Parts: sequence; structure tokens; C-alpha cells
Amino acid sequence: MLNNNLLLLILIPLAVSFLNIFLPTIIRKILVFATLVVTSVITVNLFNANNETFTLFSNTVLSLDKMSYFALAGIQLLSFIILIFSLKGVEKNIEKQFFALYPLTLAFSNGVVLSENSFSFLIFWGMSGLTLYLFSLLGKTKDSPQTAKKTFIIIGGSDAFLIMGLALVWFLNSGNSWSLLSTNIPLVDGLSYTAFFLFLIAAFSKAGGFPFHTWIPDYSKDSPIESVALLPASLDKLLGIYLLARMFTTIFEINVIINLIIVTLGALTIIIAVMMAMIQHNGRKLLGYHAVSQVGYMIMGIGSGSVLAFAGGLFHMINNTIYKSNLFLTLGSVEKRTGTSDLDKLGGLGKVMPFTFIMALIGALSISGIPPFNGFFSKWMIYQGIIEKTATLSAGYQIWMIICLVLAIFGSALTLASFMKFIHAIYLGKYQKRFSTIKKAPVNQILSTGLLSLLCIIFGIWAIKIPLNNFILPALQDSGLSSPQFIGTYNPQLMIILFGLAFITGIIIFLFTKKIKLDENYLGGMDSEERFRVLGTEFYNEVKEMTPLNTLYKWAEKKYFDIYNISTKFTISTAKLLQKAHPGQLQLYLLYIVVGLLIFFIVSLK
Amino acid sequence: MKLEYLFYIFIFPGILFTTVLGLIIGWVDRKVSARFQFRVGPPFLQNFNDFFKLLGKETTLIKNSIHSLFIATPFIAFGVLSLLATIIGVTLFYHAGFGGDIFVIMYLMMIYSVMIILGGSSTGNVYSSIGAGREIKLLIADELAFIFVILVPIIKSGYQLNLENIINFQATNGAFIGSASGILAFLLGIICIQAKMTLQPFDIPEAETEIVEGPLMEYSGPPLAFWKLNHFMMYVIFPFFLISIFLGGFTLSGLGILWFILKYWGIIVVMIIIKNTNPRIRIDTALKFFWKYASPVGLLAIILAILGV
Repeated sequence: MLNNNLLLLILIPLAVSFLNIFLPTIIRKILVFATLVVTSVITVNLFNANNETFTLFSNTVLSLDKMSYFALAGIQLLSFIILIFSLKGVEKNIEKQFFALYPLTLAFSNGVVLSENSFSFLIFWGMSGLTLYLFSLLGKTKDSPQTAKKTFIIIGGSDAFLIMGLALVWFLNSGNSWSLLSTNIPLVDGLSYTAFFLFLIAAFSKAGGFPFHTWIPDYSKDSPIESVALLPASLDKLLGIYLLARMFTTIFEINVIINLIIVTLGALTIIIAVMMAMIQHNGRKLLGYHAVSQVGYMIMGIGSGSVLAFAGGLFHMINNTIYKSNLFLTLGSVEKRTGTSDLDKLGGLGKVMPFTFIMALIGALSISGIPPFNGFFSKWMIYQGIIEKTATLSAGYQIWMIICLVLAIFGSALTLASFMKFIHAIYLGKYQKRFSTIKKAPVNQILSTGLLSLLCIIFGIWAIKIPLNNFILPALQDSGLSSPQFIGTYNPQLMIILFGLAFITGIIIFLFTKKIKLDENYLGGMDSEERFRVLGTEFYNEVKEMTPLNTLYKWAEKKYFDIYNISTKFTISTAKLLQKAHPGQLQLYLLYIVVGLLIFFIVSLK
Repeated sequence: MKLEYLFYIFIFPGILFTTVLGLIIGWVDRKVSARFQFRVGPPFLQNFNDFFKLLGKETTLIKNSIHSLFIATPFIAFGVLSLLATIIGVTLFYHAGFGGDIFVIMYLMMIYSVMIILGGSSTGNVYSSIGAGREIKLLIADELAFIFVILVPIIKSGYQLNLENIINFQATNGAFIGSASGILAFLLGIICIQAKMTLQPFDIPEAETEIVEGPLMEYSGPPLAFWKLNHFMMYVIFPFFLISIFLGGFTLSGLGILWFILKYWGIIVVMIIIKNTNPRIRIDTALKFFWKYASPVGLLAIILAILGV
């Protein structure tokens, strides 16, 4: 039993995590590193594996197909790179717990993507939510406990929906098997739709789709930055979107109406989250909202019903984990050096932390979908897929779909805008003397973010050759989808070469003609003082003050759109109603009992 | 990598062709603008003289700023614009697909703004930062309308994304400007490229009289020369793009040459007229204009296009 590769992928990190409770910090680090080396090696060895399974009590519990392999590889890759970042620089007082929780998260995430059986899936899914809660308890801001609670309620609540969904699927499957891979339930009646939406709630809460996204910005603000890069930015996206992809391929048979609904939800996720991100003054919260908004693209891609967009959605999932964790980690480096992630207090750091700046810039350009980085390629695939799907619809649906597409493309322009603000507020703008003593980030942090940035470039330029051909297209094939056909053209290699030629021409002209002189800023003849400074955070005040957006922003700040707030209020007011029914009079309680008995008899007599 | 690609990028329709034509059109713009204001205007070779003179000037770098970024950005922008000119130009002149489709072109166009912002705000100058902020606001303002504009030809050509397919579709079915949705989108497109080129009334990021050329304020010498050159190159790229998606491209033989000149000249004249008859507006006005007035028109054009009008 212990020579089963799939089981080892879960058991080894699990064992290490329990061991780590007792060991000193340095050994914890080494053990976690070794674990990740081992699980990565196992994952690499599984690349060509066929029909690996793990059976318990004659039920297939774990199995591996290309789709789960894709998610599995993503999990190992991201966990490994983020671990390199965490080796040095995690807050001293939480280091011990951090390195016990890290392998635990890995074990449960591996478990989720490997599970074929509903029960094991549910257990791992719930447990991975628990590690999220434990990580957020390690936060040190004053809102941390609140945030941990909120996260746990949203994620844990969605687990309850998932249980109901799994039970319904079992029922609709005429009670045959608990396998998740061969159900294909057609969406015809109320029950199947209910099951679908219960699953959807679970996937959306985990990945952060509208309207279940509200825990992510808070979590990003209050939890240790490494855990933010690990969970909401990467692993939770992989898990949530993995479930969504499974729903759309093997669990349900989807129809056009569902496609439209999901694409609309995706577009809303993009635009709402990015509008919120634009006005943030806290770097972590800004990135948190973008972590939500990017999910919208994946949801759109996977939900649109076009194979090309589906592949794009999967590709965007892995791309997003790469650049988003890169952005969080660079912000982490800055925060560890300066002690703040408040955009109003930073500025001009590009001079003192040049490497971090370059990595953050690459991440920012990737997330905004600037060619030739990876974010552009997946977005481009999703847009094409939606265009392809639109062409097959009737006129009314076409208008609907095109509006969603416009929102998605516009969302990426707003993302660019938001990140220009982010980059400006932290790295550009006026150089400040108080930051002159700041050192560059430690080597391990530069290495980790550098690897992620490199992946951004590689996945952008050799997108078809490396990720698509090796991971995503086999995953599509395994799920019974046809091979996608591009309808547009985009040749990144050729473009890079031509761009490079023109760029070098310009640089050569510059080198031949340059005469350099150093001087101070020109400020209308006045001395350039530090108080004359543009922060960058105020870039979008015009947007914030525009009607009707100003009202919406005000409502959003009062948390009128936060599902957690709404449901808390709802629960409290319902509880108050129930309270009124319990005034403490014995006669009333007796009356309840009699009435209850009567109802019971009437029902059972029928 | 074929040898003719080198010809495309360096000579025609890439760097040499685009810069020379751009500088000439820039002269036309200056001359006509001068006549609007009852001035004489510069001589024909003035833009060329300006460019080469700037190459000979010294480059002032700012102490405690990010020099590499400051210097690299104008040349990156130059590279991207050359690439754009090549992609659009090869499709227009040789009727062959080349490198990227309409979405790629749209995203490449954004890079110019990004470079302006990065280059300008790397200096730490207040005016540059204010200008950079305005540049990005102007980008998100016109981008929404611009998305509608480029979706109209995509829809009308039966959901084609490649530029050459869109041109070929127009060759058989007539240029899109001949339809209601086409003309709406085309007019909107001209306004959008006016904003993308930061010409009046949308010269908000540069606003010489107000924030002293904004992001370009600290630039001098060869980098400034290239920023100016980039600006003139856009006089070629954007009109060519509009010609290919709305006016059906052109053939360079017989009457085709006349059509080419007429189409290009028409767009340039409209742009110059708009530029010279409108004062600069504020950035919040621009945002309101594009989001509340221009974009609904774009939406209308989309709906008309889907209904086949």
C-alpha cells in the first residue's frame, strides 16, 4: 500500500507536518524542503503514467488523469517556489506554526485534485479550507481574528453546500457510485440545477468568484504574506477552478443558458473586483481584489462552452497563480524591508530595490495582459473562444455574450490602470530619503520571484510548446473534449524578434549620440522638496467621484454587497424572530408541543 | 525568420517608411494648424531637422531616479510602434497575415501608454507623475469606446479576428463604413485615436501650458527625439488601422493608389480639424465623455452590427 505514488503524495507531507509539530525550526524548514523535492520528483515521474489509482475497500479513492495531473503539477511548482521565498523572512514568532501548516496544506491540496471518490474529495476539500483558517489566525493585524472568522464561515459554509451537492449528484446518479469522474448528469430538472448551483457555490467560494469573493481581500490584508501567495493566490485558485472544470466536463452536461449565466458571473467578477481594486490604498488589499478579478477570466473561459476558451481558462488558471503569487511575494519583500504595505507611505523604491521592482513590473504587465507575457496568451485564447461561441448563438444571445466580452476586455484595461497605480505608488515617483538605507531583498526572495517572473516570460513566448502541448491539451483530451482551433493569429517569437530589432536600432542610435549630464528635477525653478510628491493612490479619484459610481463605491464601503455581511445580518434578524417566540412562558411552550404533536400526527396519518 | 521580414521591419512598411511618412504628416499637421492660427508655419523639413538636432543634444538624467527605465522606455515604445506599423502595414500592402490579429494589435497599442507612464514617473518629477496619472486615466477612458469600435468589424465580418480576413471580407462585401453600424463605429474610432494620440481636445496628459508636457518633461536629447518620433509614427499607424478595419484597405495599382491617398488624407484632415477647433478638456470631462456618451454609442453600433445593419 505504501508504494502507491498517489498515496505517497498525500501521506509524506501529512507525516512531515505531524513530525514538524515537535521539531526545531531549522529542521522543520529542511524537512518541508525535502518533502517538496520528493513530491515534485514523484509528480515528474508520473508524467507518463497511465491509470494510476489507489483502491480502498474495493472503491477507487484516488486516481490520476491528465486534468488532475495538470493541477497536481501546478500545486507542486507553486508550493516549491513559494517555499523558497519563505525559507528566510517569515515572521519569527509564527515561523514554527508556519512550517507545520505548509506541508499540511500541500497534503490536502494534493488530496483534492487526486480524489476520485466523493467522500475523500469532500474531506480533503474541507481540510484545505481549515488550513486556510489556521494560516489566517497567524496574522498579526488587529482585524486578523475577524478575517479568520469570515474566511472560515464563507469557506466552511460553502463546504456544507458541497455536501448537499455531492449527495444530490449521488441521488441523480441513481445511487450507483460515489465516483466523481463518470456521472455526466444532464441539466434538465430542478434537482439537477440545484446540484449544479450547489457545486458552483463551493467552487466560487474557494476560487473567489462573485458574489462569494469577499473573504479574499480581507484575507490578503491580514494574513502572513507567504500564506496569501500560497493559498488565495495559487492553491485555492487551482482547487476551485479544478472543481469548476470537472463540473463542466465530467460531472454535469451543460446547456447554453448555463453557459450564458456563468459567463455573465465571470464578467461581473472581473469588473466589480477590478473597480474595487482601483480605489484601494493598501497594496495587499489591491492585490487581493485582483486575485478575485482574475478568477472572472477563468470562470468565463471554462463556462463559455467553447473548447478554445476552456483551454484558455485552464491556462489562465496556471498563469494567474504564477504572476499573482509573484506580485504578492514582491510586495512581501517590500513590506519586510519597509514595514508597511500602505501605498500612501511607500514610493520611489525602484532605485533601492531594483530586482524586486523588475519582478513586480513583469508581474504587473503579465496580469494586465500585455504581450508577450503569459497573461496575454491565456486572455487572448479566452476572447477567441468567446467570439467562437458567440458566432453560433442567436442574435439576442450574441448581444449578451458580446457585452460580457467587452466587460472582460475592459476589465483588463482597468487592471493595467490599477497596476500602473500600484507600481507608481511603490516603486516610482519621488525618491524618498528615509528609504535610502533600505537594502535589497534577500537572495532567496529574489530567486523565488525571479523564477516566477521567468515563468511569466516562458509561458508567454512558448505558450503552445510548453504548457499547452504538455499539460492542457492532454487534459482536454482526457476529458473528452476536442482539440481547440485558434481563429486568430499570434506569433510571439516572431514579434519578439522584430521588436528586438527595432528596439536595438533605437538603442544603437542612442549609444552613438549620447552625452549624459546629471541634474536635479525641474520644478518651475523651485527646489524640489520631498513634500511635493504624487502618491499614485489618488490617480482614480475622478473615477471614484463620478456619478453613479460614487454612490456604488459608498455602498461598497458600507459593505452592502458583501455576502458575508448580508448573511450575518439575515442570520441575526432571523435569530431575533426566534427569540421573540421564546418569551419563557411555560404555557406557550406547552402549546408549541401540542401543536407540534398535532402536525406530526396529521402528517404521519397521511 | 525569412530575409524579407528584415525588409518589412526596417524599410517598408516598418521603421523607415513609417518614420518618414509620419514626420511628413507631422509637418502637414503643423503647417495646417499654423494656417488655422494665421501663422506661416514651419518649412517642409522642419520635423527632420528637429529630430536630428535633438540627437545631437545632451541627455539630462535625474539624480536618484531609475536611469535604465528612463532611457529604455522611449526605445521600447519605438520598438512596439515599429512592430505595429509592420503588422498593420504588411497586412494592408501585401494582403498577407503577419504575426498578430486584431486583439494583439489592440493590446500592443496599450504598451505605448505604459511606457509613457513608466518613463515619465521614473524621474520623480511631480508634473511627470501628474501627467502619468492623466495618461492612464485617458487610456481607460478611451479604451472602453475603442473596444466597441474594434468589435464592430469583427462582428460584421462574421466573427473573424485576422486583419487580412477582415480586409478580404470587405473586398467582396463592401467596406464596413457603408453600413449604419460601420459609420458610427468609424466616427467613434476617429475620436478614440485622437485620444490615443493625445491630440487636442485630449492632450490632457501632456498639456504644455498646464503641466509642461507632463511625462516628457524631464526628457531631453535622443530619448526626447524618439518620443517625438514615436508620436509622429502614430500618425501612420492609427489611420492605417482604421483604414483596414473600416475602409476596406487598398490595392497599390492604378486607381487604388488614388483611393489610398484619399482614404488616408481624409482621416488625417478630420483629425487635424478636430485638433484645431477644440480646446483641451479636463480629465474628468474626458472620462465622462467616453464612458457616458461615446460608449453607449459604441454599444448601439455593436447591436446594429449584430442585427446586420
